[in-house]
Amino acid sequence: MINNVSSNIKNISKVTYKEKPFEYWGPTPAEARKAVVNKPHGLRDKRTTMKEAVDRHIKDGMNLCIGGFVNTRVPTAIIHEIVRKGVKDLTISIQSMSICCELLAGAMILDPDRVSIRRVELAWWGYEIIGIAPLFRHLVTNGIIEVDDYTNYGMSVRFKAASMGIPFVPIRDHGGSDMELVNRGKMIECPFTKENVYIVPSCIPDVALINSTMADKFGNARLFGALCTDPEMATAANHVIMTTEKVIPSEAIRTYPNLTEIPYAAVDCLVEQPFASHPGAVYGNYWFDMDHIRMFRNAGEEFRKTGSKEALQKYYDEYVFGVADHNEFLEKIGFRTLQKLRDWDGHQPVIAY
Amino acid sequence: MPEYTDMDMIAYTGSRVLEDDKIVFVGTGLPIIAAMHAQLTHAPNLYMIYEAGSLAPILDMGMPLSVGDTRAARKACFLKGLCSAFELTQRGYADYAFIGGAQIDMYGNICSTMEGTDYDKPSIRFPGSGGAGAMAANCEKTIAIMALEKRRFVEKVDFVTSIGYGDGSPDYRRNAGVAGSGPYRVITNRAVFGYDEATRRMKLLEIKPGLSPKDIQELVSFELIIPPDVKEMVEPREEDLHLMREVIDKEGYFLKKKVQK
Repeated sequence: MINNVSSNIKNISKVTYKEKPFEYWGPTPAEARKAVVNKPHGLRDKRTTMKEAVDRHIKDGMNLCIGGFVNTRVPTAIIHEIVRKGVKDLTISIQSMSICCELLAGAMILDPDRVSIRRVELAWWGYEIIGIAPLFRHLVTNGIIEVDDYTNYGMSVRFKAASMGIPFVPIRDHGGSDMELVNRGKMIECPFTKENVYIVPSCIPDVALINSTMADKFGNARLFGALCTDPEMATAANHVIMTTEKVIPSEAIRTYPNLTEIPYAAVDCLVEQPFASHPGAVYGNYWFDMDHIRMFRNAGEEFRKTGSKEALQKYYDEYVFGVADHNEFLEKIGFRTLQKLRDWDGHQPVIAY
Repeated sequence: MPEYTDMDMIAYTGSRVLEDDKIVFVGTGLPIIAAMHAQLTHAPNLYMIYEAGSLAPILDMGMPLSVGDTRAARKACFLKGLCSAFELTQRGYADYAFIGGAQIDMYGNICSTMEGTDYDKPSIRFPGSGGAGAMAANCEKTIAIMALEKRRFVEKVDFVTSIGYGDGSPDYRRNAGVAGSGPYRVITNRAVFGYDEATRRMKLLEIKPGLSPKDIQELVSFELIIPPDVKEMVEPREEDLHLMREVIDKEGYFLKKKVQK
């Protein structure tokens, strides 16, 4: 970004890039404020079906935020339904993600008239120990999608800024790296210390997809294990589609209100769905299914290396298009595998009342 | 001396660098092995922080295979989310960052975003910064773990993902607005590097027994500072290998990996 305050990054940078005139990649802070004011704020039963939730809220051209972190508490069940419905021209906002982003990328590679990604604001997209994300690499190195790079803190705090209703936030990273040049943040002189400080624009999604450990029917949600950035994302977004592993009584919520991490008012639709993150993990419920993740990644890697879409198509035909809903998907995974994943979680303690 | 692999040496050296009564910000793999080995030997009051949000977990269910692995939250003292982990770091509670990358230069700037010259159409795209850029900015000291190869130790990195000493000028990090003091050690399978205080350039500190400073310089594209008092890397003892292989990484997820992909 052109700017008269900067670090000395230009002394060492080798990278060329397109100057981006600043714009929010989704609702502006003013639009976001209005959207929330216009939502009903009473306690209402938010429970609905996955199909209904996705039909109502997923629209072409929107900024879609994917909750969880890498493969923890990711909203796989909602992503599958979005692929079945189809959505075009998406902006995706995440911190770090594996299979959920690759599922959208794969759907785009198979049929760009059904699913398409225009751009992604992110910190990281990969499979960690299993390897790089082949479909992300394909889309970026071929210039098919636009990226805007931040750190994990940068993305998380951008959601936090949105959740606070402020337009930007000052932070102590990105400066002096090439991200200072290529992303939409900006170096300024702090009006108080007179030192350089980096500011990043808030990230306001149209819709955030969240899987919670448990929630009451109104959408008051508890999260166990790492919170990731779910609480910030939920109140950053204009709307939230939430799956929950278990619906719990509202008396439980009112008995221990400190345990509520996402308040009901932020949640538009609630779908009770056990194993909603599979093949991702949910603390206290199940560990991640590395074999399944590897199988899907292999299909993507085959496409990247050979150009053949056969394995990818087969995966989607079997696990996404070949099933009506997530329960049918889980039937394909099979009881024995799911039971094993439950055991591997090690019964991490959660509070269900 | 017992037989050990490159991975054993890197993890063991990582452990030696860590001091007691500190907090180390870890990712997956070798940094966790290094931190756990340190906890079980010379640094019993050293704790880990994970970017998904856990502080001081007890990893009694095995090695986390992912930074978001639910096992990394096991029996933690404090468990929130990414904002909390990085804000504790920004505030000064994280003493060490352990990060890796595809390329590093003489001032400790690291690339893990892309190769090529065009950001909008790179020749290779890596996953991206993840937590690394924020860790290098705001942990007090940055420890890099890299394979010692000429294509990785480069004159200039293709993309500065994680800030080091920038162009080497004394006020680079201050003008960048970051809070941590910066690059501290680079740990490889064949050498350990530090940084010269006056020039902020990479300096050879230790080499693997049997190798000479010249052998190391040949694996690096830029000119190293080679002081007269280069030490030998300490090799892991039988009990260290036992701890790392049989207690910490029982399944061999990380120690059995080869250095080169």
